[in-house]
Amino acid sequence: MLDFGAVSLEWGTLLTQAIVFLLLLLLVRKLAMGPIVGIMEKRRQHIENQISTAERNRAEAEALLAEQRRVLDEARAESKAIIDRATKQASDEANKIVAEAQAASERLKADASAELAREVEKAKLELREQMTSLSVLLASKIIEKELDEAAQKSTVDKFLAQVGDRL
Amino acid sequence: MHYSLRFEWLGMVFDISTILMILVTSLVVLLLCIGMTRNLTSATPSGAQNVMEWIVDFVTGITKSYISPKKAAGFVSLALTLFLYIFIGNQLGLVFNVNTTHHNAEGQQVSEKVKDMLTVSTNEEAKQQKLAKLEEELNSTDPHSHGVVIGWWKSPTATPSVTFALALTVLLYAHYLGMKKSFGGWLKHTFLNPIHILEEFIIKPLTLPLRLFGNIFAGEVLIAFLLSVGIFGSIPLFLWLGYSVFVGSVQAFIFTTLAMVYISQQVNEDH
Repeated sequence: MLDFGAVSLEWGTLLTQAIVFLLLLLLVRKLAMGPIVGIMEKRRQHIENQISTAERNRAEAEALLAEQRRVLDEARAESKAIIDRATKQASDEANKIVAEAQAASERLKADASAELAREVEKAKLELREQMTSLSVLLASKIIEKELDEAAQKSTVDKFLAQVGDRL
Repeated sequence: MHYSLRFEWLGMVFDISTILMILVTSLVVLLLCIGMTRNLTSATPSGAQNVMEWIVDFVTGITKSYISPKKAAGFVSLALTLFLYIFIGNQLGLVFNVNTTHHNAEGQQVSEKVKDMLTVSTNEEAKQQKLAKLEEELNSTDPHSHGVVIGWWKSPTATPSVTFALALTVLLYAHYLGMKKSFGGWLKHTFLNPIHILEEFIIKPLTLPLRLFGNIFAGEVLIAFLLSVGIFGSIPLFLWLGYSVFVGSVQAFIFTTLAMVYISQQVNEDH
């Protein structure tokens, strides 16, 4: 013990304080520091996780957005191609139908004119046949008359009689 | 000056009121620490947990500003305990006073045992001197005399034994860390330069505890003086009490900081 009157240094008190302080240190470390540092560390990790998750989500969202945009562009291009193709197909179809109709009408016209020509030919032929038979008849009538007056006369009479009968 | 009860055991002197205050302060620190770390949550903290986390952050800040970041985490508990113990210890002495006064009156004699405990000394001559003074105060018939006053409540840090205990614990620990890191390096650094011998064995062990002791002891002396002045002392007393709160906080901070600096000188790679 160092004694300076009002102030003194006692080894016993000093030793007691040192021991009590070490005990207090152990207890504080175990009962307070452990839990609070654990909890603060947990929070730090939680926040870090949140940040990294948010960043990952953002990257994911961006990737998704790009993908969506790409798909949309593709769909747009595809629809345009489909419409183009359909338009082309429709006009082709229309052209084809018109051409077919034209061909059909041409054919009908041709058929009709051919029929007409055949009819005319047929009528001509018939006329010619009738003319021939009429000429032959006329000739035969003339010849018959010159051959026999009497006979002619009787013929006329017969004819007249026939006419009379008919009347 | 107030008396205190002391006893001798194993050749060492123990001061009972100081030891009581050491225990009270330790208990308050421990209860505060336990109370403020119940129902902890890793979500948004509130109330006591906020305060505790602020203190831990503050102390971690002190530790990290001197000790290399990789090693700092191991010393946060020490810094926290030092800071809280000194801070609470400094403030406790300001809260109130518990004194007992003793007279030799009719039918009420102070026993020889108590007289012996009040006058524990290093040698017989000093003891006789103290005893004579004690007898004089005990038997004083002067109406202004307070008799013998035993102070039971004071800052533990207003006692050199306490501040030396804290400082020597820290310094011994720092030297142990230095030796553990590299015994040769520690020897070279400590003994090769006479300035370092002076620094390590005289300056640091004296300045670290005496700074704290001096500040708090002086504060308590002034408080005791202002209390004894009476009504005229009341306004200065309030001012001084406010200032003492500030001094107590600053001293706790300084002690903790220096402790970390001294440890860092032993554990950091370069200094």
